[in-house]
Amino acid sequence: MITNNNFPKDNNVLFDRGKFGLRITEKFDKVKCSEIYIQKTESFAIGLEKNSIKDCNKSESCGFSVRVFDKRGSLGFAYANDISSKIIEKTINNAVKMMKAGPPNDEFKDLPFPKKSNSKITGIYDKNIKDLDFETPFDLIKDMIKISSEDSQVVTQSGDFSSLYTYYYVFNSNGIEISSEETAASLTSSIVVKNNRKNETGNGFHWQIERKYKDLDAIEVVNKTLQMAKMNLNRIKIETMNVPLVLTPKGVISLILNPIASAINAETFQYNRSFLVGKLNQKIGSDLLNIEDNGLINGAIGSSEFDAEGVPCQNKKIFSNGAFLTLIHNSFTAGKDNVESTGNAQRNSFSSTPYIGSTNLFFNTGDCKMQELFEDIKIGILLDYTGDSPNIATGDFSGLILNGNIIRNDEIQESLNETMIGINLLDLFNRIEKVSNKLEVYGSKNAPYVKISNVQISGSK
Amino acid sequence: METPNPLESNLISKLTKLATQKRIEYWDIRVAFSSGTLLEFTNGKNKEVSYSNIKGIGIRAFVNGGWGFSVKQNISDSSIIEGLNEAIKLAHYAERYSKFKFKIREYDLIRDKYQTKVKTPLNDVNIEQKINLTMKIEKEARDFDPRIINTNSLYTDSIINSLFINSFGSSIEQSISILRIFSIVHAKENGNLQRNHESKGGVGGYELTKKADKIGIMSAQKAVQLLSAKPVKGGKFTVIMDPKLTGVFIHEAFGHACEADLVIAKESILEEKIGEKVASEKVSIIDDPTPNDMALFGSYKFDDEGIAVKPVQLVENGVLKTYLHDLESASRMNEPPNGHGRASSYSSKPQARMGVTYLKESDWKLNEMIEDTKYGMFCENWKYGYTNPATGNFQFKTRNCYKIENGEKTELMRDVGLSGLILEILNRVSAIGNKVEFSDGICGKGGQRIRNCNGGPYLRVEDVVMGGLQ
Repeated sequence: MITNNNFPKDNNVLFDRGKFGLRITEKFDKVKCSEIYIQKTESFAIGLEKNSIKDCNKSESCGFSVRVFDKRGSLGFAYANDISSKIIEKTINNAVKMMKAGPPNDEFKDLPFPKKSNSKITGIYDKNIKDLDFETPFDLIKDMIKISSEDSQVVTQSGDFSSLYTYYYVFNSNGIEISSEETAASLTSSIVVKNNRKNETGNGFHWQIERKYKDLDAIEVVNKTLQMAKMNLNRIKIETMNVPLVLTPKGVISLILNPIASAINAETFQYNRSFLVGKLNQKIGSDLLNIEDNGLINGAIGSSEFDAEGVPCQNKKIFSNGAFLTLIHNSFTAGKDNVESTGNAQRNSFSSTPYIGSTNLFFNTGDCKMQELFEDIKIGILLDYTGDSPNIATGDFSGLILNGNIIRNDEIQESLNETMIGINLLDLFNRIEKVSNKLEVYGSKNAPYVKISNVQISGSK
Repeated sequence: METPNPLESNLISKLTKLATQKRIEYWDIRVAFSSGTLLEFTNGKNKEVSYSNIKGIGIRAFVNGGWGFSVKQNISDSSIIEGLNEAIKLAHYAERYSKFKFKIREYDLIRDKYQTKVKTPLNDVNIEQKINLTMKIEKEARDFDPRIINTNSLYTDSIINSLFINSFGSSIEQSISILRIFSIVHAKENGNLQRNHESKGGVGGYELTKKADKIGIMSAQKAVQLLSAKPVKGGKFTVIMDPKLTGVFIHEAFGHACEADLVIAKESILEEKIGEKVASEKVSIIDDPTPNDMALFGSYKFDDEGIAVKPVQLVENGVLKTYLHDLESASRMNEPPNGHGRASSYSSKPQARMGVTYLKESDWKLNEMIEDTKYGMFCENWKYGYTNPATGNFQFKTRNCYKIENGEKTELMRDVGLSGLILEILNRVSAIGNKVEFSDGICGKGGQRIRNCNGGPYLRVEDVVMGGLQ
């Protein structure tokens, strides 16, 4: 058998190996600047199927990637999940080979230079997750099983508990040398319920992801899943109509926050692939459209002191009273636009180059109480979940309502089958009429309930 | 590139002894080394030119309804033993709390070696040649029309060398070579921005690039064509689907609900429907990943649980015959495994997944099908699709469609979503074309993305709900 280096228990090994890699890149004359990203992760998960524990999984991974640029701006990138000296050297040679073979890119300026962070972020690491005893999270899963087994309408529940520990370093030839130690733990639940009288099934899902183990609340996760699944029963087909639409926080995330996160991405913008191109510094939505991207909230899942290129994270107002104010950048797009990076470079793992992503994205609350949202709606639609997403290039959205209900005389009533919704996002932004005064948190996305004055609905009746 | 050596017999006997001592009823180990290239160019510039090298081991242990799974990245005897010990410990934890007790049924062991048929090995082609091809595709798309504002071309290849062993004594060594090329084009005119996406690829060597020879031009042509398309008005229509759309329709509207792990989890609308009529009697659906001369992207010889593939007849003349099984679902449903336990890599657990799923051809010619349609929509290609197997609601987005008026294709439309209910829609099939065509795809389930193919002939379905922007 082939034998290799061992998985490093000690994080200092990552520092040494990363520095070793950076020194090698600096030996190549043709390399203008270089970066080493080195990361280790440890994860644990318990899987739930048919409302019973099915499997337990443990995984470890340690790897690194190297980016090298020459004077022409050509990028060579290579990665491996082995941090032995031999493989580090071989991988860097591959990256340099790629760099030499690639075409020039005059849009590349430089890798970032060191900049001090003004904020110290706390609460993104929990020792209880890093040193998690495998038996501990079984209690959370047992709670989830108990609640759903006590409900006579539940047919089945699937879901999981998972935890992740990450430690990484970013080194670059301009002097950046940062590290971060982070944890996350999550619970997911998906429940199918049955209406025995009508022999009809409905489903719902909910999830929670936290930096700290103690913040997980299995009872709330299952109760919210059950509520969504039961609201999915008594489905009817409706006629085509033009009516008011109320988006739940999940609905706001899929119809507003996720598309905005893509559309304000400077890369999408620079390539003219965003429906917001040409709209910067213009008022394009209702006064109630207020969105910010804040990477500096202690304990939040999207927070960190530095981004994945070692640039300090920030808090940015994206939309204020309907006016579109800023884009989110990594160092490449910032260089191209001659602006500072906004600290939005992210990586899924060592195997990806830094892409642009939102940190903690907020649709800010309004002043509307929950019951006021539904007032004066003679007939309308509540949208909780659609599997579709808008076309970012055009802003057009047409999607199937997977979880949604009809609203009659201020009340949420039957669920919907074969009902589709169509609107352009710019129209949707302008038709925001009410925003609730409370928001819900789904990982790094934070959203209230939002009422849209009128939307086209295609029914099948 | 490194290749996994067959495990030495004294290591296998150590693993067997360890598993027996700890009351483990089944275990398997997947060792993999993969290397690959990714090239991406946008607007004539280098976005990513990368090379990867990944290796690791996935180890599963099973006892009485509980599974343990451990992933290690160091490939050594001690790491494998440590991983099996972990998987055993985790399997016992799972078993302790598991409500459903069952056994994994033993099947005949397989000892085999399999290598993708390759004419030009990927490693025999230098990086400059791959870069030139990818840049040529990007340039051809960019130069096609002044209305094109953004072009992106992507080349990806990988070689995965793997070894599978399990407690039944199976041992399978494989070397799989895959390649895929994409062209994504955005075109704009008077504030109207449209996107088109084309991909070609398969299982094989560099010779597969011939399939993508004109992909940039084709992608650009369609993006420009979409500029003149109008938004569709929602409603109910007779729809003719092209083979690409038929393929994704079968995959989304039916294939997922056939995955036996979802059936067991009570999350499929096809539960307890074996032997029942679920579609028009004109409809037959097959999943056959067996590698053949077409080098289809979804093809494979052995699944990730060491089971050899064969054609699986899911629906015959409208009647549901069987499900797609992984080892666990086959054991629990007392059926033979049929080669559909697939994992995205060594670091993921196998699930019941599709391979090459298609609707069988019949006898309609396309022109006859259009002429026979008084009023309807002729839909081409797709952007994405999904289904909710528990309620039967499905939805997919077509790239474009033409109105059919009095048996003729007329106005071009865009941004069309088709939706329906699984058990209703396949009963409304009114005509099936005479030739099956396949297209490549990547399918996501439970966080795992795997390669597959969908296919079918031209297909006409009555009363399909279409959603649009008006």
